[in-house]
Amino acid sequence: MLKQTEFISREIVSAYQQPTSAGFFARKLSRHVSTILLLLVLCGEAGVGVFVIRDLTMSYATVEKMYNGSVQGLLRFGDLQYEAQETRRSTLYALTTTDGNLQVEYADQSRKADQGVTQGIIQYLAQARTPRESKLGQRLENDWGAYLKVRDDVLGLILEGSPKEAVQLDLRVGVPEFDRVRQDLDEIKETYSEQASQQLAAVAGFSRRSITRLSASLGIGLLFGSVAIWAIQKSRMRSAVQLAKLQMDFVASVSHELRTPITGILTAGENIRDGLVLQPDSLFEQGSVITDQASRLMELVDQVLLFAATSTARPTHSLRELQVDHVIADAVRSTKGLLEQAGFTIEAQIEPALPPITGDLSLLSQCLQNLIANAVKYSPDNRWVGVSARMNEEGREIQISVQDCGIGIPASDLAHIFEPFYRSPHVVAAHIPGTGLGLSIAKRSVEALGGELNVSTQLGVGSVFTVRLPFANESLHRIRMAPAARTGT
Amino acid sequence: MRPKLRVLHIFVAIALVLGLRPNQTAQATSPSKPRSNASQSLAIVVNRSNPTNNLSFSELRKMFLGEHSHWPNGHRIAIAMLDYGQPERQTVLRLIYRLDENGYQNHLLRGMFLGDVFVAPKTLASPLILRKFVFNAPGAIGYLRASDVDDTVKVVRIDGLLPDNKDYRLQIDERSVE
Repeated sequence: MLKQTEFISREIVSAYQQPTSAGFFARKLSRHVSTILLLLVLCGEAGVGVFVIRDLTMSYATVEKMYNGSVQGLLRFGDLQYEAQETRRSTLYALTTTDGNLQVEYADQSRKADQGVTQGIIQYLAQARTPRESKLGQRLENDWGAYLKVRDDVLGLILEGSPKEAVQLDLRVGVPEFDRVRQDLDEIKETYSEQASQQLAAVAGFSRRSITRLSASLGIGLLFGSVAIWAIQKSRMRSAVQLAKLQMDFVASVSHELRTPITGILTAGENIRDGLVLQPDSLFEQGSVITDQASRLMELVDQVLLFAATSTARPTHSLRELQVDHVIADAVRSTKGLLEQAGFTIEAQIEPALPPITGDLSLLSQCLQNLIANAVKYSPDNRWVGVSARMNEEGREIQISVQDCGIGIPASDLAHIFEPFYRSPHVVAAHIPGTGLGLSIAKRSVEALGGELNVSTQLGVGSVFTVRLPFANESLHRIRMAPAARTGT
Repeated sequence: MRPKLRVLHIFVAIALVLGLRPNQTAQATSPSKPRSNASQSLAIVVNRSNPTNNLSFSELRKMFLGEHSHWPNGHRIAIAMLDYGQPERQTVLRLIYRLDENGYQNHLLRGMFLGDVFVAPKTLASPLILRKFVFNAPGAIGYLRASDVDDTVKVVRIDGLLPDNKDYRLQIDERSVE
C-alpha cells in the first residue's frame, strides 16, 4: 500500500487541463444566452424609451415656451388692439350726441379702455426680452401718450359744446396719432408672429428629429430583437439537434451494449439446447457465460435506470450520516469482481478520524463504483486504481479521489465528459464499450448530495476524479439547495 | 315783424323749451347719497387744469347767466347744471341766478333767442356725472355739495372763501326743494 505522500505525488494535475474559470463562465454564458440576449434587448428598448421621452419633454417645453411667449403675446396684443379701438370709438361716440350725460358716459368708457391699453403696454415692456421689443414698447408708449393727450382735448371740446372744433382737432392731430399707434401695434403683432413662426419651426424640427430618432431606435430595437430571437431559436435548434444526436448515440450504444451480452447468453443457450455441450466442465463454462452476460445486462439496465432516477428534479434517496470509510469499502467491495477479473490492484488511503458526511449510501457507492469502473475501462496498461479520502486544506469538506494511470482525457473532451450519453470520438474509435452515462450519473449523484465532482487529467499519464462533499452539518443545507439549483439550470 | 318770421320764432322757442325740459328719466335713475337736513355748503368746481382759483360772486353770477363765453386761458366756458328738482340746483337758482325754475327757463330762452346768452348750460343727471363732466372738460364749471367733492376737480374760492370758511355764501337749503 502506498503512503499518502506517495499517492499525492502520483496525482497528475495539469493546470491547463483543469476546468478553468473562463471555461466555467463560458458554459454558464452559453446556458443563459437567451436570457442575456433578452435582457440586452430590454436594456436597448429602455434606452430608446429614455431617449424618446427626453425628446418629447424637450418638444413639450418648447411648445410651452412658445405658448407662453408668442401665443399669449398675440392674445395680449388682441386685447391691446381692442382696447385701443374702444378708446377711440368711445371718444367718437361722444360726438354723436348733445346729451351731456351720454357724453360723460362715453368719456368714461374711453378712459377705462385707455387704462387697459396703458396697462397692456406696461406689461409688454416688462416682458420685453429683446432690444427690438423694448424699443417698440417705448415707441408705443410714447405714441399712445401723445394720442391720449389729443383724445383728452377732443373730449374736452365735445363736452364744452364745441363739436366742430373737436372734429377738426381729431382730424388734424388725433387721426395721425392714432395711426401711429396702430402702426406700432401692427409691428408688435409682426414681432409676435415672427417669434411664433421661429418657435413653430423649432418645434417642427424637434418633431422631425424625434421621429427620426424614434424610427432609428425602433429599427435598432427590432434588429436587436430579431437577432436575439434568431440566436435563441438557433440555440434551441442546436440543443434539440444535439439531444437528438445524443439520443441516437445512446440508442446505438445501449443497443450495442445490450446485444453483446444477449448474444453471449443466446449462443450459450443454443449450445446447451442443441446438445453441443455435454461435458460437465463445458456446461459449467457455458453457464458461467450466461450468468456473467446476464449480470452485465443487469448492470447496464441498472445504469440506465439510475441515470433516469438522477435526472428527476425530486430526489428519492434516503439521507443519513455516513462514515467515509464505509462508503469507500462498499464501493470497493462492489467492484471487487470487476477489478479482479481485469487484474487491477486497488489502493485505498483514508485519513483517520474523518468527520461523517450526510448522504445516501447506495448513491455515493454507485458514484464511486462508476469512477472505479471508469478507471478500469480506460487503463489498458497500468492496472492500478487509487482511492483516497481526506479533509481539504480549509478543513471544511471531505475529498474522495479515484485515480488511475490510464490514457487520460483530451482537453477537447473535458467540457463534455459529464454530459449524458457523451462518448469521446477517440474512445469510440478505440472500441471501448460504454453508454456515456457513468460520469454523468456520478456527477449528478454527487451534486444531489450538495457536493461537486471535478477532474484533473493528463494525456497518457492518467486522471484523478475528486468528489467533494461537505460535512454532515453543512451538507443538509446544500442538499436542500441542490435540487432547486439543478431545476433552475 | 313779418308773420312768417314770427311763426319761425315761435317754433324755435317751442323747440328750445322742449330741449331744456328737465330730464325726468335721468332724475329717476340718478344715484343720490343719503343727505342730512342740515345746511351744507355748495362748492363751485372747475377742471383741475383751470388756472382760476378765485372768482368774485359777481363774476360767478355772470358766468352762470351765460354772459361770459370763455375763460381767461381761452377755453370755452361749459356750465354744468344738475337736473331739475335737486337741492343743489335750487340753491344755485336761488342764490346765483336769483330766479325760480320758470324764470331760469325764460332767461335761457330769451337769452338764446336774442343772443345775450353765449353758453347754454349742460343738464346732468347726478353729482357723480357732473363731477366727471368737470373732470373731462377743461372749460367746465359746476357745483357740488361740499361732501361730493373729490380730487378729480378743483374747488374755486368765491370772494376768497372756500366752502368750509365762515361767511361762505353758497349754503344749500334742503327745504328749498320743490
